[in-house]
Amino acid sequence: MAKLKISLSIILVIFSLGVFSQSAQWMVSSDNAKKPNPLEINPKNMAVGKNTFSKSCKACHGINADGKGRIQSPSLISETFQKQTDGVIFYKITTGKDKMPSFKAKLKEEEIWSVINYLRVLVNPSAVPPAVDVKLELSADDGQKSITAFVHSLDSTKQPIQDVDIHFYLKRDFGLMRIGEPANNTKADGKVTVNFPENIIGDLDGKVTVIAKVENNFLYNDTESAIGRKWGTALVSGDEKFNHRALWGGRDKSPLWLLFMANGIIFGVWAVIIYVIYNIFRIKKAGKIFIK
Amino acid sequence: MTDLYRKEEQVKKEQLQEIITDLTRPMNNTGKSFKIWIGFLLILICAGGIMYFRQLVNGLAVTDMRDIASWGLYISAFVFFVAVSLVGSLISAILTLSGIKWATPLTRIAEIVAVAGLFSALAIIVIDMGRPDRLLNIFVYGRLQSPIVWDIIVVNTYLVISLLLLYLPLIPDIALLRKNMGHKPKWQQKMYKILSLGWQGTQDQFKLLNLSITALMILIVPVALSIHTVTSWLFASTLRPGWDSTIFGPYFVAGAFMVGTAAVVIVMYFIRSQFKFKEYITDYHFNMMGKLLVLTSLLYLYFNINEYMVPAYKMKPLEGEHILGLFTGDFSLMFWLVQILGMILPIILMIFKPFRKAKPIMIISVFIVIGAFFKRFLIVVPTLLHTYLPVQNYPESYQHYNPTLAECTITAGSVAAVALVISLFIKLFPIIPIWETAHEKGISNETINN
Ligand code: HEC
Repeated sequence: MAKLKISLSIILVIFSLGVFSQSAQWMVSSDNAKKPNPLEINPKNMAVGKNTFSKSCKACHGINADGKGRIQSPSLISETFQKQTDGVIFYKITTGKDKMPSFKAKLKEEEIWSVINYLRVLVNPSAVPPAVDVKLELSADDGQKSITAFVHSLDSTKQPIQDVDIHFYLKRDFGLMRIGEPANNTKADGKVTVNFPENIIGDLDGKVTVIAKVENNFLYNDTESAIGRKWGTALVSGDEKFNHRALWGGRDKSPLWLLFMANGIIFGVWAVIIYVIYNIFRIKKAGKIFIK
Repeated sequence: MTDLYRKEEQVKKEQLQEIITDLTRPMNNTGKSFKIWIGFLLILICAGGIMYFRQLVNGLAVTDMRDIASWGLYISAFVFFVAVSLVGSLISAILTLSGIKWATPLTRIAEIVAVAGLFSALAIIVIDMGRPDRLLNIFVYGRLQSPIVWDIIVVNTYLVISLLLLYLPLIPDIALLRKNMGHKPKWQQKMYKILSLGWQGTQDQFKLLNLSITALMILIVPVALSIHTVTSWLFASTLRPGWDSTIFGPYFVAGAFMVGTAAVVIVMYFIRSQFKFKEYITDYHFNMMGKLLVLTSLLYLYFNINEYMVPAYKMKPLEGEHILGLFTGDFSLMFWLVQILGMILPIILMIFKPFRKAKPIMIISVFIVIGAFFKRFLIVVPTLLHTYLPVQNYPESYQHYNPTLAECTITAGSVAAVALVISLFIKLFPIIPIWETAHEKGISNETINN
């Protein structure tokens, strides 16, 4: 028996050989480690860092960069992590390892440096001034098909605020689609305008919703505002292809041959099963008669 | 004259009693090793349960399945379990219908292996769902055009038929248990009472029983073939390299008969050695099962040659990439281990009679079963890793699939569940049909009924 168990375990090991693989540590050369961070810590590139983090890193490393994201990943705010030089962190982000993707091709260098600054600020929030609330208002120009965002202070003076990056989105079925430039900073009058893109399909009436957000900004707290307009092309439903019985049709559009075949088989098989179950009851009944 | 008859009757009675004592021995003697075995299985299942709870909380992110390999270990295990369950129809229907007598003592083993396999197959499909709470949507919104809907229908149908085919031949035995298991706990006796249906062994009852069993045996053959054919269509009805094949149905069915037969051999071996059933499960049975295993394996080999040789000859770009991945690429080690240790070597060995003795054939069967599991993995995963549409902006890790600890534990738990169902069944019901064994020894129904 013992021999048997040993041979069984050997078999298991042999077969599992094909499945697993491991990989090595990060090797950072001293040149790379000493590379200086060219960016200073200021609200403007802080915003770039925060945006980049929430776009590219948050999913894995967690909202607070504490490693509690969707996959097992290291904390980026721990003491041991923060002890590393900017150069080392930069190297790790650009090269990646195992489940940590390489961001060399996906992010610009200054975006990566900004993320590093952002990570530094996360453990040292006093490096930037506290954020304040602002009001965001939207207006639409039907002739130009453009949307203007106006950012002003909360009090009754409505002081316009300059240099706020507004993110514009179009509401789609399953999420938001970014429109406008990568950065849309408000001018001296507190306003910034984006043009509505062409060839956008709206709902059945052609209605679309534009959303503007102040988000991931270090000087101002998050806020958003929405506006609806009939600027899209009306959605045409009832396309001919989907209106008749076909394999790709909906639940009520199964091809007739399939309905007959599948239901015929199901019916035939289950008729026999039900007959057998009925027989079980007959067997039981036959036993009772015998007792009497 | 009457005296002689009485004497003969007496002998038969004693003979019957001996058979009953023998065949209910597994139910009465619960040894230490059995308890350890059950404990071991329960630990595996609990570990799987805990990991599954983690998966429920954190979602499928605890697995290594991502956008590209969206099926992994779970679906491989599903195909494996369905394959194993096909043996129920092979042994208790196909062999019996063709009048092969030696298989009679093995029918119940085959049926319980089938039922246990199906339970785990159904469980692991739900485990593979990211949102199991939406299970009912398949019935509310399912389209008859979808092979997944066919699969659900056919797997459940097969489960019902298998349960019935396990239960019906058990009825006369349960009636015997009612008389002979007076020392068992109340609930167990009550269960026997309900399940025995007040069986008296009258002619009417036998007629109904035999009629029902025959009907089911005929019915289960096409249903069994379709369950695994439909499972293969889940893959074959898509246009992907490695799946886009016209012989996938028979290829799966042949493989299923092979792994199922091997699984039954393993269960036979342990039942025989654990409960000293040498008289009931003889070397002859192992020899015959060995021949059956060679036959099914050769059939599977034939389909393998077709399945790999034809695309390898043509080397269409994507298909060729897939084939090379198996032959010489990332999966080659696993592929050749599976093909050689799990199929070719077993066939060669089993052709020789000494290897069809109980122990060698059991060890060979273990190789076949494990090989079959990894073979399902090789069918499911490499194809998914070859994306058809160009993809961009995804992490490099998505290009690989290495099952996580959670997946391995849960899958191991589901395999343990199969063993647990079989083991518990052995404790509650005679695993070798008493009534049919008595019948074969020339003991008449009257003797059994009184
Ligand atoms: C797909 C998930 C994922 C994404 C997206 C991701 N990371 Fe990582 N990251 C990881 C994992 C996993 C590790 C651990 C790698 C290892 O040690 O094998 C890691 C490690 C790191 C490390 C090294 C930590 C140490 O202990 O030195 C840094 C720095 C890092 N990530 C920064 C980032 C930044 C910045 C981003 C966004 C631009 C990002 N990561 C995006 C998963 C991810």
